Amino acid sequence: MKTLAARTVYMVVVLVLSSIAVFYAIRLSGGDATAARLPASATYEQREAFKDQLGLNDPIYEQYFNYIGRVFSGDLGTSLTNNAQISDLLLTHGRNSLILGAAAFVLVFAIGIPLGMLASLRRNSWWDGGIMTFSVAGMAVPNFWLALLAVWLFASVLGWFPSAGCCSPRQLALPAVVLAMEGIALTVRMTRSAMLENLNQDFVRTLRAGGLSESSVVGRHVFRNALVPIVSLAGLRIGQIVGYALVVETIFGWPGLGQVLVNAVLRRDYPVAQFFSLVLVTIVLLGNWLADVGYTVVNPRLRKA
Amino acid sequence: MTPETGASRLEAWNDRLAEYEAGRHTGAFQAALSRMRRNKLLLIGSALGILVVFAGVLGPVIYGVDHTLQSFRDTHLPPGAPGHLLGTDHLLGAHLLGTDHLGRDIAARLFIGIRVSLAVAAGVTVFALVLGLLLGMFGGYLGGWRDRAIRGVVDFVWGFPLILVAVLLAGGLGGGLFPVILAVGLVNTAAIARVVRGEVLALSEREFIEAAKAGGLSTPRIMFRHLFPNILAPALVLASYYVAVAIIAEAALSFIGLGAQPPTPSLGVMVSDGRNFLRQNHWESTIPGLTVVLLVLSVSLIGDGLRDVFDPRLRHEAKGVESG
Repeated sequence: MKTLAARTVYMVVVLVLSSIAVFYAIRLSGGDATAARLPASATYEQREAFKDQLGLNDPIYEQYFNYIGRVFSGDLGTSLTNNAQISDLLLTHGRNSLILGAAAFVLVFAIGIPLGMLASLRRNSWWDGGIMTFSVAGMAVPNFWLALLAVWLFASVLGWFPSAGCCSPRQLALPAVVLAMEGIALTVRMTRSAMLENLNQDFVRTLRAGGLSESSVVGRHVFRNALVPIVSLAGLRIGQIVGYALVVETIFGWPGLGQVLVNAVLRRDYPVAQFFSLVLVTIVLLGNWLADVGYTVVNPRLRKA
Repeated sequence: MTPETGASRLEAWNDRLAEYEAGRHTGAFQAALSRMRRNKLLLIGSALGILVVFAGVLGPVIYGVDHTLQSFRDTHLPPGAPGHLLGTDHLLGAHLLGTDHLGRDIAARLFIGIRVSLAVAAGVTVFALVLGLLLGMFGGYLGGWRDRAIRGVVDFVWGFPLILVAVLLAGGLGGGLFPVILAVGLVNTAAIARVVRGEVLALSEREFIEAAKAGGLSTPRIMFRHLFPNILAPALVLASYYVAVAIIAEAALSFIGLGAQPPTPSLGVMVSDGRNFLRQNHWESTIPGLTVVLLVLSVSLIGDGLRDVFDPRLRHEAKGVESG
């Protein structure tokens, strides 16, 4: 399991590098950090005093080490716009994001895999054509527009679901489906091609020749083999969901991590933007790491390399 | 009859060579053209693309309505309604697609929005193509620590979702189209560099590169005269995929308020402006959204078509990129 250790070390290195990158990126904006808190009429001295108080005039590397030290001792600081404790934001919004993200993650596989199987087993039929058209459309339609169409149809016209808010199951339905859509489309494609690839293998012919029922060949052998790449790469979907959550949470007014980050960036609330950037980057890296590990575990050839 | 001299024989030989070369080139070109003509994806995509580009480039000129003019007497007019802003000599005498919540003409804004979308896509693609080709070629051909360094950076960028990178950059650089171009450009650069590197690695094993090396050609000459023409086609095909990515990303970022800043009309901003009026006037939001979809669809169809015509081998790789 040497590769796993190497993968983990790599992830930690990337995490440190990206935290530095995020830290510097947030500070590129320079003097604007004071705009969130001080009135526009504040004098230069007032601004400088405020920056001194926050440590913004120290060298950036010093700020970085101070900040990391504070984060590890549990002091996350407060928002510049409303004085909210960042740790409170993390708890409430993190929980909401977890609900939405988990729902989307489950939908990706719960809808994607059966549809992909159906398409592969009814190859070149109307089923196949319809499902693949759906899949292509799912990848081509921008999710913010899909979100609006969903709000228009299901909230405004039909009135089945509320258009925004948190966190009842009815409010969860639309954002979860929109967030999952591209993942579903991808999973359908991957499942279909993995199934077709396995159905053409020699072992399938052997199993059939051995008299196994078709349902057993497909269900117990082909399906299991086809599932391997999809499940092992599931970590990549986490990164995808995090990225789209920034847009989808904003549209549906779902108070999650993505919405906090986008609002903080828009309002130049740098302590919040900085912390939640780090949180989301960490989640994405963990997802990528899971995919790496998953792929190495199921693929013995990679283990030795 | 002229005597057979060395010079005339050389001339004749050169003529034949030129004829052969010309024939070969037009042959290949015509073959590609006829394949393009038979390719339905490419035809539909190009038709759609030409239509949208036409709307973006000539639309504002022909339509002739100022996209910044506001009129509070004319807010939320339905498509085809006459308005106070339009002069009596106006082409239609009506707002083609109605007006938005500030009484601005939606069609005029839509045309400019298409321009913005196309400009961002062009900026991103040139950025990503140039940098991606260079990084991929240098890494793949030079190998060693240079390759490892380039691959490290590329994989680092590639590991993050596009929207997250863009939001982070916007956090540092402020809103506007520049951070969008930079963010999408960087991520697309990583995508192109990865594929180019792979192609270069495969090509480096081929005989003509061996021969060039044995012939004592300098490394830059081998890279730019011999490798470059061979990877340009696959890189261009790949780049056409990422044009679609750029268009979607710009619209999405503008939608959440981080891309184009007012008064620049972007398709994403228009979708966002209209979303508060979905119940009454859904077209204020749905039409710009549909325009994004059409743009993306045309670019994807062109990309698929070009791939089929020029590089059928790339079919699998491009899919791998999407699912990666």
